[in-house]
Order: sequence, then structure tokens, then C-alpha cells
Amino acid sequence: MEELTPRQDRIQKKNSRLLPKLAGALLLIAVAIVLFKTLGNASLFFYPVDEAVEKRVELQDRRFRVIGVPQPGLVETALGGVQVIVFTLCEGDIYADVAHEGDPAELFNPGVPVVLQGAWIENDPPALDKLLNPANDGWHIKTDSMVVKHDNDYRADRAELESCDSG
Amino acid sequence: MTGNVQMPDLKNTSSKGSKILGVSSLVGFAVLVVLAFFLTDPDIRFHPETGEEFGQFDAVRLLYIHVPLISVTYLAFVICAIASAGYLIRRTLWWDSLAHSSAEVGTLTCALVLATGSIWGRPVWNTWWEWGDVRIMSTLILFLMFLGYLALRRAFESPQRAARPAAVVALIAVLDIPLINRSVEWWGNRTLHQKSTLSEFKIEDLTLFTLMFGILISLLVMTWLILHRFRIAWLEHIEFEQGVQTAIEERRQIDTKEKQR
Repeated sequence: MEELTPRQDRIQKKNSRLLPKLAGALLLIAVAIVLFKTLGNASLFFYPVDEAVEKRVELQDRRFRVIGVPQPGLVETALGGVQVIVFTLCEGDIYADVAHEGDPAELFNPGVPVVLQGAWIENDPPALDKLLNPANDGWHIKTDSMVVKHDNDYRADRAELESCDSG
Repeated sequence: MTGNVQMPDLKNTSSKGSKILGVSSLVGFAVLVVLAFFLTDPDIRFHPETGEEFGQFDAVRLLYIHVPLISVTYLAFVICAIASAGYLIRRTLWWDSLAHSSAEVGTLTCALVLATGSIWGRPVWNTWWEWGDVRIMSTLILFLMFLGYLALRRAFESPQRAARPAAVVALIAVLDIPLINRSVEWWGNRTLHQKSTLSEFKIEDLTLFTLMFGILISLLVMTWLILHRFRIAWLEHIEFEQGVQTAIEERRQIDTKEKQR
């Protein structure tokens, strides 16, 4: 009987190790989910404006993410009864007009790159004539999600805004 | 692994050196808080065309904590990997305890990196979390892998049995660090994280000093934490060894009694 007691202890100890093993298994599943979510969903990656314009036909009405620099001349107007902000996005000398639905990001400003999510619409955006330098190509991107890509410059007086070549 | 060991008569895990280190860390951290939250300027710029204020405003202050934390996270995990390699070669308690201690501290700082980054991201990026950002996701993977490492260490009854597989996991997990660090260059315009500020010298004056000071203080805090965790790990091993020796001794006494009957 005395000999069995330590063995009983050992069984209990083995059971008490089940939780870390379970936690390990759950973590493996979590890593797999993260990898799947990151690598499996191509829409998470951003198309620069030039690439989004180039793949316009291929993208059709699919949602995608686009990164570019908003140009000066933001116009607030309504589209289908919904408040939108209309502006032109650029990358190098390629431009695309955008109608963004909903509140823009707090740091949204011309010259500060943004990542937008939405889809191509084959017609002009509203208030096209009020944009300073529109793409004016018969298309616009209708977006509803905006994040700001902040620059890496922390020199307050020297930080420069990004600009595009005039198209 | 440890042989015949005796539990030292200790009241705590500190020594004269670690007390000096602890006090220095505490004072340094207080100075860092004053520098970061009171003396440095908020990030405010004026738009050249609209004249409106823009920038990170007060959110920039979080970077004096966030960037030093990721620096010490990298370092703690690299120490863990070196110690793990040391363990696989030498098979000594010293290397294993160092690996375990630095992994625990690194996992803690990595969690803080993810938390401070998320808090910073809300006002600056307009999102708490960005699934499409390679740096965030690879940091999350690093965090999860080292959580797995710590779970693995607890999954075995004997610390010695856990040491070898844990060392292998650490050596694999640490390979994620170059990916995290270089992701902003490799993915460039397809990821949200900004490029390196320090390597491009886009920071200066008190801002640069505060950031460097933050890294120094974080190093002190990390060293202090690893030192104490190392000593606890060492004592845990000794306690385990003593437990095993006591159990063997008890078994021998039972056997002797039975033979005498």
C-alpha cells in the first residue's frame, strides 16, 4: 500500500500537466489561424494606386485595398443620400478618384498616405468638377475603410509631405 | 543535471548588485516618464497648403515606450536562443535556466509591445489592429510561439525532459525576428508599418535622446528581470532535485524496512 501512494501521486501530476499541453495545442491552432488570416487572404495586401488602375478590369467589382497619397482638394458631398468625401489618390504620376463613405481617419490629410478598402465603380465620382487635379478617367474607387500610413520622420520642422508628379 | 544539490538559505533572490540595478531601473524609468510625457514636444506639424495642424500629437509619446520594448524583446529572445544552443551543446542547468528566464521576460515585453502598439495605432492609423500588416502579424506569431515555448516547459513533469524540446522550439521561434525587423523593407509599400526611423536618421535632439534613454532603461529593467527570474529558475531546479532525492531516499527506507520484516 505504501508503495502505491507515490505512483498515485505521479498519475495526478500527469493529469495536472494536461492543461499546458492543451494550451500548447491551442497556441498551435492560433498560429495556424494567424498564418491563414495573413497569408491566405490576398485582399489584406495593398495595391499601390498604379497597380490598382492597371488591374482595374481584372479586379471588376471585387473589394481590394489600395494605398496612395491623397491630393489637395478634398470635397465633402453626398452620394446616394450618404455623406462622402471625394478626393484624388496618387502614386507617382498615376491618379485615381475616390469617394470615401463615412468618417475619414483623424490624421487624414492631403500628402499623408492612406490605405483604403473598397471597389472600382465605372462612373465619375460626385463633384468631379470641384477636384483640383482629378484622374477623370470615367472610374472611381468607392471606399468605406480608411487607415493612415504614418511616415517615419520625427523631425518636426523637416518632415515633408508626400507629393505626386502632376499628371 | 545538477547532481547532489543543496537549497541555499535565502530570504529573497536579490543581491547587492541586483538591488543597485533595480533602484537604477526604477529611477531611470521615472526620468523616462518625465521625458516622454512632459518634456518632449507632441508631434504637431503644419500642413504647407491648408495650414492645418496634423501629426501624431500626444500619441507619439507612446513610441518612447513601444520602441524600447521591442528592442529588449528582440534581445531577450536572442539571449534565449543563444542559451538554448548552449544547453543543447553543454546540457547544463545554467544554460537552461538562462533560456527559460529570458523567454519569460521576452514574452512579457512582447505582450506589452503588442498592447502599446495597438493603443498607438488607434489615433494614428485609425485602427486598433491591422491584419494586413506583416510586422504586426509576425510579432504576434513570435509572441504565440514563445507562449507555446512556456507551455511546453510546463507540459513535462521533469524540467530536464522539457529542456531539450524547448531549446529546439526557441531556436526555431527566434528565426521570426529578422522577418519582423526587415518586413517594412521587404514589403515596403504593401504594409502599414512605417520604415525604420533610426536607420534613416529621421529623429534628432530631445526626441532622439528620449528614445535612446528609453532603450537604455528598458535594457536595465530586462537585465534585472532576467537576473531574478534566473535565480528563481535555479532554485526551482534545486527544489525539484531535492524532491527527487527525498523520494528516492523514502523508497530506499521502505525497501529496507520490508527486507527487515
